[in-house]
Amino acid sequence: MNETMIEMVDVSKTYPSQISALSDISLEILSGEFAFIAGPSGSGKSTLLRILCCAERPTSGEVVVCGMHLTAPGFRRLYQLRRTMGIVSQDFKLLRDRTVNENVAFALEVTGHTRKESKLKASDMLSRVGLEEREEDPILALSAGEQQRVAIARALVNSPPLILADEPTGNLDAKMTLDIMEIFTDLYQKGTTIVFATQFTGLVKRYSYRVVRILKGQILNGRKVDVTQVPEVKPGE
Amino acid sequence: MGNLFPNFITISIIVISVLIFSTFTLIAFNLTSLLKIWEDKIEIIAYLKQGTSSREVEPLLNRTRLLEGVEVVRYVSPYDAMDFMATKLGRQKSLLEGIQPTILPPSFEIQLKKDYRNSTKIKEVVTHLEKIPQFEEIQYGQEWVETFSVLVHILRLTQWILGGLLLIGIVFITSNTLQLTISSRREEIEVMHWVGASPGFIRVPFYVEGLLQGLLGGGLAILFLFLLHQGLFLYIPPSMQAWMEKIPVLFLPPETIAWILLGGMVLGFFGSFVASMRVLRYK
Repeated sequence: MNETMIEMVDVSKTYPSQISALSDISLEILSGEFAFIAGPSGSGKSTLLRILCCAERPTSGEVVVCGMHLTAPGFRRLYQLRRTMGIVSQDFKLLRDRTVNENVAFALEVTGHTRKESKLKASDMLSRVGLEEREEDPILALSAGEQQRVAIARALVNSPPLILADEPTGNLDAKMTLDIMEIFTDLYQKGTTIVFATQFTGLVKRYSYRVVRILKGQILNGRKVDVTQVPEVKPGE
Repeated sequence: MGNLFPNFITISIIVISVLIFSTFTLIAFNLTSLLKIWEDKIEIIAYLKQGTSSREVEPLLNRTRLLEGVEVVRYVSPYDAMDFMATKLGRQKSLLEGIQPTILPPSFEIQLKKDYRNSTKIKEVVTHLEKIPQFEEIQYGQEWVETFSVLVHILRLTQWILGGLLLIGIVFITSNTLQLTISSRREEIEVMHWVGASPGFIRVPFYVEGLLQGLLGGGLAILFLFLLHQGLFLYIPPSMQAWMEKIPVLFLPPETIAWILLGGMVLGFFGSFVASMRVLRYK
């Protein structure tokens, strides 16, 4: 039986402006599971993911990720938590003054890998996301879709046991979306836990993975795949 | 290039602050050296009462030599005193014509042992001398020695008060300018947080930067002070040069320079530490 990778119990998040982003959500994701967090824009998907990577603290409730109690008083092991996960954010968070390879290798270098080893691994990962021809290009020379792929490569290069991806295919065309999904599927089949936030129901329908539907900060369903209540949004809309 | 301006500002502030502190240190050091030279020349003159017979002089000399702290005692007769004055007056010694040496009191010139040539210890010897009834008056130039000691003391106090204020200033400014440096690398630091770089990995380069800024700032301040010190001699009017030769104007000794450089490094480090505590919290 798989262990619990993520556990959220009665988690709420209210911003100082009194906007409630999440209301009493409880969620369990097992190790090795692929879970879509599906919901329209503004439903709370990003907040949920930001809480899971401890970029934000919930107002109340308990969060456990990889056995670490993120909501425990005095939790200080943030960098250890981040090493267990690959994060793909909507805004890419790439270094504008570096090349494509340097951006991916950076994730390895800062966690103790040698420069040479990092460059080689980055190179390998970039070929997996179809950017082998652009390795030495400055990051600003890439399109939004290509930058998205660099962000994905950087998240995956450390082979983390957990991937948190916030709209990772949001800037990609249909073909590239499928290519990227193939990479995620491959990782999933190798045992990586994947939490994939998306507003595109077409994508969710295509795969028979678990879907956690979220609307106005509340989770609407459990394990059963039911996308009928998720507003229809297609890639490119 | 983005880091160049904040770094330049930080180093400049450290240079100015350390230069002010070092200048006070240099002045205090030279005045202390001067005080030591003068203290080495301190001697006591004990004037004998008029009418003290020559028979009494020898036992009195022996008694004075036995006092603690006394190294050499020399009897100066009224005739010796007159000769001394004539020598001092040089071509104007004719002024002394018609004056009888006997109006000058006989005296003892008392040189002290090295450990006793300071304003505190000299008083102990003077107290013993005052108990000897044959002495009319005892002089040792106490007023100017004490005044000079107070002056040096005030200067040292000012140096440390100023040093303390500059220290707080340096830490504050270094910390604030380092925050600018950190801000210019905000994007990189954010990604480091994102991919799990350890806090030490993120902070250590800033600590090293603070240390180097302190070292460089301190080093430049010492260099400027040295140039000022050298320049002082270039611009002394020839009329003052002969007088200045008697007063050695020393530069700071190597151990003081080492302490100032170390102090600069510690301040730079502390500034970056404060900055990192403020803005490098893991997010």
